This record gives sequence, structure tokens and C-alpha cells, in this order.
Amino acid sequence: MIGNEKLLEELTGLLEDNADQLKNQWVKEMTEMKLLEKLTPVEIEQQSSAIYDTCVLTIKNGNYDAAKKYAREMAKKGVLEAMTVDQIIMGMLKLRDVYGRFIFSKYQQEVTKLYKVLDIYEPIANRILNIVALAFVQERERVINEQQLAMLELSTPVLQIRDQILVVPLIGTIDSARAAQIVEQLLNSIVDTQASIVIIDITGVPVIDTAVANHLIKTIQASKMLGADTIITGISPANAQTLVSLGVDLSMMTTKGTLRSGMKLADEMLRIEIVEKV
Amino acid sequence: MDIPILKIEDFLIISFQNELSDHDLEELRENVLEHIKKTNAKGLVIDITALGIVDSFMARTLSSISDMAALLGTKTVIVGIQPAVALTLVELGLRIKWKLLTALNLEKGINLLRKSIESEKEIAHD
Repeated sequence: MIGNEKLLEELTGLLEDNADQLKNQWVKEMTEMKLLEKLTPVEIEQQSSAIYDTCVLTIKNGNYDAAKKYAREMAKKGVLEAMTVDQIIMGMLKLRDVYGRFIFSKYQQEVTKLYKVLDIYEPIANRILNIVALAFVQERERVINEQQLAMLELSTPVLQIRDQILVVPLIGTIDSARAAQIVEQLLNSIVDTQASIVIIDITGVPVIDTAVANHLIKTIQASKMLGADTIITGISPANAQTLVSLGVDLSMMTTKGTLRSGMKLADEMLRIEIVEKV
Repeated sequence: MDIPILKIEDFLIISFQNELSDHDLEELRENVLEHIKKTNAKGLVIDITALGIVDSFMARTLSSISDMAALLGTKTVIVGIQPAVALTLVELGLRIKWKLLTALNLEKGINLLRKSIESEKEIAHD
């Protein structure tokens, strides 16, 4: 009866002795599956070494730090070079295969020992596969989130067109996340520019339902608290019909048909102010 | 806690410097109304620039001060609501009345009061 530790030592020893064979076998099989086409020979060499080192280290140390580190790097690289999840997972599965078959061939004479070695090897191999796949998905999600944030910022410009007038052209659907972001940006702009009139143009908003109307009312309320009056422009005939049929009360909103007439109104409101100050 | 009520020309100015308890607020409401009666002020400015937190009780009290002052013939403007405060109040579902006057800062608030009192005079003359 050989202890697990002894077996582990033997296994790592075996893997280390046959490093080149294992690496080459993996590269060969990966090439057959056309998974390495985007890589140069040098990169392939680096990849196979990195994977081999990671596996051996993990089996040797019994912890997964090396695997996690490798997975993170791999994920970043993989996403950057537009590798698919499929390719990554296939690559890892191949690796598992290659090592598995290698172990089989080495121990095929001693079946009990083979089972024991497999007992050690299988969980580790599975875990590495799991870590790499997870890291890849997480990395992708992170990139998607980042892009979403960037899009959110881009999607709501607040423009100052006169000393005291801000224009917010809204384009696209408005969900609560976006609405919250719009209000925040608008309020900060009001403070920065000391604006007293805000024109929100919703020509580019395809559908206005109760939720969107509610967001608009909140925006107007918040602006009002900072002392800015709001004019809504560009409600389309279809949207006007929807809003009235839904029973949304917009009586306290100042609305104008077009951005142009909204700006005219804003000018008039300001001119009154200017005349009265004198 | 005593909150100073300042008088400039025809206007009274209250500036909140730190958080107030509900009791302080009620006391303030009485004081302000007394002051308005004594000084016959035409306008009242409430400056809350320094407040980072405004709860619903405070919001309601401010709104009621404005309503009560209106009964005494005084217009109220609330100035200096911070963006974060405005966001919170709106998220709390609080709706300010459309006739309540608000302004970004003290200067704008006083201008707004002047304008609004002027325009009322004009209507009265017409």
C-alpha cells in the first residue's frame, strides 16, 4: 500500500520527466483541432509551457493559486484576442485528455495504482478546468459591464446653449438605471452652470409609458428643487396619445412641440427676467 | 437651539448651519412666524446649503412654513438644496408644490423673490 503523498510525488515526477512529450502532444492535438491558428509558433510554445507549468505546480502544491493566476492572465488575453469560450474550454479539455491518457499508459500494468492516481488527478484537473472557464466568463462580464457604463455616460449629454439654459437631448429607451444617471448628471450640471432653465428633448425616445413619465416627473422635481424650471419638448403624437390614454397627469409640466419652440419659450422666460432686473 | 433670523431690507433670511432636531424645527417655525408679523417682511429666504441630509419631516416643515408665511402675505424661497439632497427627496417620493419658490443660491433666491413680488405688484396695479 503506497500513501497518497508518495503517489503524488511519483505522479509529479512522471509529469516532470515527460514534460516535452506532454507539451508536444497537447500542441499537436490542439493544432489538429485548429484551435491554435491565431497564435505564432513562439506563442504556442509559451502557451503550452504556461499550461504545463500551471498543471504540474497545482498537482504538486495541492493549492490552486497558480491555476487562478494563470486563469486570470489567460482570460485577459483570451478576451483581448477575441477567443471564444468554446476555444478556451476545448483547449482545457484537450489538456485534461492528454494528461489522462498519459497517466493511463504509464500505469496500465497496475490497475489499483492507476485508480489511485486517477483519484488524485481527476479532481485537480476538473478544478483547473472550472477555474479557467469561470475566470474567462468573469472577465467577459467585467468587460461588458465596463462598456455598459461607458455607453451610459455617452448617451446623455447635457449641453449648455445659453448662459442659463441647458438642453438634454434624450435618445433611446430610458430604464431606471439610465434615468438615475440622467438626473444625477443634470443636477450637477445645473450647479456647475448656474442654469435656471432646463429643456429636455425627448424626440429620440421611442416609447413613453408610465415608468418613463414618472422618471421625467422625478427629474423635473429634482431640478425644481435646485431652482431650475424644466421644459419638455418633442413629445410625438403617438406618445401624446399613449400618455393621455394611460391617464398620466402631466399638467404641471411645461411642454412644447419642438426643441425650437422650447428654446423660444426659454428665451422669453429669461428675457422677462432681464427686463425686470433693470 | 437658537437659529438666528436675519433681516435685510424687506426680507428675512434663515440659514441652517447644522442638523436640526424635530423639536428645533417646530420652535423655528413659531419664531419665524412671529418675526414675520413683527417686521412685516415681504419675503423669507430659507438657506439650506449647509445641509447634507434633509429628512421628510424637515421637508414637510419647510413646506408648511412657506404655506403659513403665505397666509401672512410673505413669499418664501428655499435656496441651496444640494443635488444629493434633491435626489434623495425625489426618491423618497416627496413632491414639492409647484408654487413653492426655489433657487440655486442665496443671490438667485433674493432676485427671484424681488421679481415675484414685483410681478404681483404689477398685476395689482393693472
